Amino acid sequence: MKIEEKNFRNAGFVCSVLLGTVAFASISFAQEAPPAPAAPRSVTIPKPIEKTLKNGLRVIVVESSNMPLVTSVLMVKSGGEIDPDKLAGIADMTGDLLTKGTKTRTAPEIAEAIEALGGELNAGASWDSSLVTVSVMSSKINAAMEILADVARNPTFKEDEIERLREQNLDNLRVALRQPGTLAGFVAARVVFGDKAYGHPLSGTPESIAAIKRDDIMSLHDKYYRPDNAVLVFTGDIKAEAAFKLAEKLFGDWTRPNSALPVMAQDDTENSMNTKPRVVVIDMPEAGQAAVVVARRGIKRADPEYFRGIVSNSVLGGGYSARLNQEIRIKRGLSYGANSSLSARRAVGVFSASTQTKNESGAEVASLIMSELRRLASEPIADSELTPRKAVLTGNFGRNLETTGGLATQVANLALYGLGLDEINNYIKNVQAVSAADVQKFAATRIDAKGANVIVVGNAKVFLADLQKQFANVDVISVGELDLNSATLRKTLAIKTPK
Amino acid sequence: MQRFYFSMFLLSAATALCGVLLFPPPVAVAQTKVPRLNYKERMLSNGMKVLTVEDHSSPTVAIQVWYKVGSKDDPDGRSGFAHLFEHMMFKSTKNMKAEMMDRLTEDVGGYNNASTYDDFTNYYEVVPSNYLETLIWAESDRLGTLTVDEPNFKSERDVVKEEFRQSILAPPYGKFYYMIEKRSFTTHPYKRPGIGSIEELDASSIDDVRAFHKTFYRPDNATLVIVGDFDQKQLDGWVDKYFGRVVKPAGTMPRVTIKEPERTAEQRFNEYGANVPLPAIAITYLAPPVTSDDAAALQVAESILSSGESSRLYQSLVYEQQIAQDAFANADLREDTGLFYFGAILSSDKKVEDAERSLLAELKRVQDQPVSPAEIDKAKNQLVTNALHERETTNGKSFALAEAAVLFGDPARANTNLDRLQAVTASDVQRVMKKYFTATNRVVIYYLPESMRGTAKNVGGGSN
Repeated sequence: MKIEEKNFRNAGFVCSVLLGTVAFASISFAQEAPPAPAAPRSVTIPKPIEKTLKNGLRVIVVESSNMPLVTSVLMVKSGGEIDPDKLAGIADMTGDLLTKGTKTRTAPEIAEAIEALGGELNAGASWDSSLVTVSVMSSKINAAMEILADVARNPTFKEDEIERLREQNLDNLRVALRQPGTLAGFVAARVVFGDKAYGHPLSGTPESIAAIKRDDIMSLHDKYYRPDNAVLVFTGDIKAEAAFKLAEKLFGDWTRPNSALPVMAQDDTENSMNTKPRVVVIDMPEAGQAAVVVARRGIKRADPEYFRGIVSNSVLGGGYSARLNQEIRIKRGLSYGANSSLSARRAVGVFSASTQTKNESGAEVASLIMSELRRLASEPIADSELTPRKAVLTGNFGRNLETTGGLATQVANLALYGLGLDEINNYIKNVQAVSAADVQKFAATRIDAKGANVIVVGNAKVFLADLQKQFANVDVISVGELDLNSATLRKTLAIKTPK
Repeated sequence: MQRFYFSMFLLSAATALCGVLLFPPPVAVAQTKVPRLNYKERMLSNGMKVLTVEDHSSPTVAIQVWYKVGSKDDPDGRSGFAHLFEHMMFKSTKNMKAEMMDRLTEDVGGYNNASTYDDFTNYYEVVPSNYLETLIWAESDRLGTLTVDEPNFKSERDVVKEEFRQSILAPPYGKFYYMIEKRSFTTHPYKRPGIGSIEELDASSIDDVRAFHKTFYRPDNATLVIVGDFDQKQLDGWVDKYFGRVVKPAGTMPRVTIKEPERTAEQRFNEYGANVPLPAIAITYLAPPVTSDDAAALQVAESILSSGESSRLYQSLVYEQQIAQDAFANADLREDTGLFYFGAILSSDKKVEDAERSLLAELKRVQDQPVSPAEIDKAKNQLVTNALHERETTNGKSFALAEAAVLFGDPARANTNLDRLQAVTASDVQRVMKKYFTATNRVVIYYLPESMRGTAKNVGGGSN
């Protein structure tokens, strides 16, 4: 057993297009200088081909055949954001239940059929979308797609499967709620979004999971799983014509309802200025570490400043050598890793920075994150810092396109947010166009520290006094008192305050 | 052969299996072949092994340097040291300041990482192919001239202590997987978990770092693997120029020769954690080395027992009995005697003794009756598909080749291990299940909430 890694980064591929070469001037002190790079070679980015069926189903194919594998994703353009207030987790549960029985197959038969092919079939909800994904050897794609179409179109949502999944989800949640990092993420979402969409845990709360009924699930499936609200993506070792033929055969007779597509009311408030930023401590005396999250509202995926946003995030906390990990891990040894993310969604999403540290350092790490957020807005960024942080983005992007799964995810995401598929070809150019001044302005106006909330989950008695020296109005909630169903986060207050 | 991060065990919703299906569909043996890795092999005069595969599918190269030193080589009283040392390899050398490896990789759109396993340590990077010579220079520099200073050592030791807290103390089942390692071996250094302990990490010094580098980081203990977009002749020249100049020291390296004795009777342990929502159980057996002729059948058995929702353990414990929220089997085979273990994290209000009985019943079933031809075909299809996914990237290909060369002792195993899997029959699976999964070769670990201390007896739920 056992991998102990230097860090938490994932593998991927590299793009050198437009990146040019970097001379290692900074190491001129060396006894021996490293050999300079040769001229970069160009990378070929695969080209998506698409077609829309008569019923409105959009089909996108990207041929790439490094290995005899195909990935296919059926994406419904609605996810956890449609969960009704008291039924948090229903979109996720509906997605999970697709593979638990159809008109002609039981749950064990579905698992057996796909796994006999050596494949994997996964279904579930995310924010803004629900996905059914299959990945198999290309020689098995026809049989695998027949199963994918069956589970998406003909799920039966049997009572006994609903009960089984309900119990499993409750147990999973029991474990997740003891994980300081996971719990801090749940609390951060409530603090940032309150009782609005994106505020609840995607998989629900113990109370909401208990309240979900079969009729609720059936009506969600009827309402949102329809061809004109879906996109089918194929990537890998498959010809476009063969993929279109398969799509027509399996989804051509999927009926588009006469009713109009449901439209979600969107809450586009970009910051938390309407509510004062909060500092919340969840006291978990037995926690083996403190989880620290700084979070606030971010941007929409369609925001014209999206690329400025992801470059800003890359400077602050995207990757090993970004500022947060420099300050918290590399310089001070306070954590195994610190990072930030800008989760841009259909409506305004969340910007967050997070890390885990020994309980004693909880307060120190919280103020380090806040001061880095302020520094990004107040100090100009040198090109010698900006250029490598852009390279991290373009390198990760290129590596993602190297696997059929990564390619499918990129393409599906563009389709989800109504963006042109040629953004795949323009990604590197768009990243390169962001200037140091753009980053500083974005940091000052869109992810300003003044609108940021602080959440710490851990053994409060160890760090609370230090935290209170740095932040006013620290709200301490014991883990037993925590209520994730309510923006107040408190069981007692939730009862006293009628909505 | 399968390796996981601790966290991957925890909430994987899709990890169990079962075999008896009412209507197993007819399945043909995989028609798809995994493309062979056509590698070139040579050895430098200082003893360094070099394996290369020219592959122009993307303008990148993957570089792996594997050293035959792992957690089992931790010095006495320094458990966790090989891993701490691995972190120090990203600090300064004679020609590079600390973290310069990140400048040469991350800053140009590539990445790097390193991992410490029980039997070896690997360092790797993927970069745009025009940086290949630079990285060969850098890897040779940290092999030849590592220099470490006190502030960097102390700060990185703190990082590793946080890694310990993040992987062992903070997650509800971190300590569970730690104790599987600790309780499964009595004698072999595998009994010391590779992440170590806070106390022994604190006891380590910068002198230990220097001694460890001198002892194990030498060219005749290293294997270099490069896969990607390069010109073979040019590459060979760079390897000769930068790695060829590293001098092979005199003397031999200390090797772990101690053998784990066979188990003679079942042993049982209760372990407790402060933050455990649901009890868990693990049943471990000593298993043969990864190079054993039984390894392929054990890997197929692992797949049949636990790969996917149609697997035997999932179908039985998670789906039908609903006694577990997660059930797993892991063929954790190593250079020396390793482990094959099973386990489950329970569902609410279930008894750990009952989960033990259910796990043992599934083992008995595989021992008593041969698995079906459909199950064998399914396992092979799953294993072939996994290999295809691994080899989608240059980094995956280079890992497969390095693992074959270093862990299996023969790079040809990158291709022939797949043939070995195809040759496994139902009777092979039954034979290895009977051979290794005996009552006397069993360690049973209950992992329980602290509040249950003193109440659980752990006298065993089943007999086998």
